[in-house]
Amino acid sequence: MSRSARIALGLYGMLAILFLYLPIISVGFASVSKARYLTFPIKRYATKWYGKAIESSTVQDLLVTSLSVALLVTVISMVVGFFGALAFARYQWRFRGTFQKLILLPIFFPQAVLGLALLLWFNALGIIPSWKTAVVAHLVWISPIATLIIAIRAYSFDPALEEAARDMGASTWTVMKEITGPLLWPGVVSAGLFAFLLSWGNFPLSLFTTGADSTLPEWLYAKMVSGYSPLVPSVGILSIFTSIVLLLVGVIVMWIIRARSEASSANAR
Amino acid sequence: MRSEPILRLEGVSKVFGEFTALDQIDLDIHEGEFLTIVGPSGSGKTTLIRILVGIEELSKGKIWLRDARIEKLPANLRPTCMVFQSLALFPHKSVGENIEFPLKLRRQNPLDRKARADELLDLLHLPQSFYDKRIHECSGGERQRVALARALAFDPEILFFDEPLSALDFRLRKNLEKELKDLHQRTGKTFVYITHSLEEAMVMSDRIAIMRSGRFEQIAVADEIYARPVSRFVAEFMGEVNLFSVEGTASGTLVGTEVDIRVASADLGSGMNLAVGVSATLMVRPEAVQFLSGDDDADFMVEGLLKAEYALGSRTQYKVEADNGDELAVEKLREDRFSGQVGDRVRLGWNVEHAHLIRPG
Repeated sequence: MSRSARIALGLYGMLAILFLYLPIISVGFASVSKARYLTFPIKRYATKWYGKAIESSTVQDLLVTSLSVALLVTVISMVVGFFGALAFARYQWRFRGTFQKLILLPIFFPQAVLGLALLLWFNALGIIPSWKTAVVAHLVWISPIATLIIAIRAYSFDPALEEAARDMGASTWTVMKEITGPLLWPGVVSAGLFAFLLSWGNFPLSLFTTGADSTLPEWLYAKMVSGYSPLVPSVGILSIFTSIVLLLVGVIVMWIIRARSEASSANAR
Repeated sequence: MRSEPILRLEGVSKVFGEFTALDQIDLDIHEGEFLTIVGPSGSGKTTLIRILVGIEELSKGKIWLRDARIEKLPANLRPTCMVFQSLALFPHKSVGENIEFPLKLRRQNPLDRKARADELLDLLHLPQSFYDKRIHECSGGERQRVALARALAFDPEILFFDEPLSALDFRLRKNLEKELKDLHQRTGKTFVYITHSLEEAMVMSDRIAIMRSGRFEQIAVADEIYARPVSRFVAEFMGEVNLFSVEGTASGTLVGTEVDIRVASADLGSGMNLAVGVSATLMVRPEAVQFLSGDDDADFMVEGLLKAEYALGSRTQYKVEADNGDELAVEKLREDRFSGQVGDRVRLGWNVEHAHLIRPG
């Protein structure tokens, strides 16, 4: 590659990264501004809004609501996704083709439409919307994605592995425990990570279905519309940190899984 | 090696929708024999072996293992084991854990398991250091051995093989074929092997069963199948062969209906008897055909043009075009090469003991 091409490519890369991260960085700046309204350049810095955010009972409530929704969605998506993926990718059954198409359909729905549809549906059933109905709404959209992620993993391993285990005397449960489970586990963990992130950051579905409760993204939007203060970007940054922490936890879990499976074979002696 | 059959199949059929994969199969497998089922892809051999180990259910028929009916028994309750085409080694387990897997399922204690795994590594010429290796660190040939060790750890009544050698390169395959035959002799177990490669079958097996469209075409020892195939299909499947359409004549001999075959003697023996007007196929292997010189004679003779000569290493193959345009194959050992040139007119001949008549079924 010529020198000029290298420079051009490097520049292009820098611009792309800037384009992706500048907005997030600017939120960071906004959160540490002392002024009530965001103006560049920032004249005086302050971190007091972080303190306020952490102390605020409103923010704590938001955090609890968002975490409850996201964690529930994560756990249920992992379980539903695991069995869904088995049906999707591993077993031959009569309506498999139909199932494969239907399960993915919710992903293609615009989320606002899906949210509206679910709200109407909850009303028709006489269910009062709250954060619990938001869990259901998130699941409609997120569990197909989790299923798909695990199904990709399920497709990538040889069906003969399960047959061989069975042939050597393993019961259905033992095959699941010894072969299918361990092989799908990395897929289940990444599906869980995605489920959490998608639920944690979701706005349109929550907006329609949380009723009187509110999640972090909803609150951020509401405060943007009226009542802005640097508390808004501070909470936004805290929310990003939660995602990053979770991502790290996920990476560590994956790393432990790998290390353990390697260690178990070394310790078998 | 005749003994009571260890496995007996009676009228085993398998239907997938409209398609009949297996059509009323009967088969006796004898204790301690090495039986190879050979057939082209789609002949039903894989379906058959999957039914025999219990992974696939049959549509109709009975299977006995010694005195017990087993066709309804699921795979995990049958005392048989299969080496899969993909080998199906567990990628998340070490070589040792793979080999010990069937023993772990039987809750054998870890020390005994380890001892048995070491024994099996030894039997399959794998160093003890392999015990801790990951599967992805093993080469193709090593994986074959691990898969075999795992199957032997199970200690099955019958060991099934679903063309496990097909993915290997030629030389390694040849070595493993011989090792497998050796292992069969040392363990004394019943081996049932399926493959589409006849050569593989010839090297290893006591008996060969040729399969076609869900039925057995012929079941016999290798030599019998090679020298006396029951059909054109079997003859052609068993390597290079010359086949001629012939008919019985009033004088009690044969006459070629396509290639002009001259028959020297009126009396060819009972093996070549054919009623007048009845057609059949006359077979001769390329290595049994001679180039005739001067006024040499043979029981069967064909004239033609030497079209091509191919060096096959230890042997040389010749293509001869008969007057009607059909091609004949002749094979000679390298040291017995034919002295003629391509383009020469040649006379080919063979005697009745090398000829075989395939009668219409």
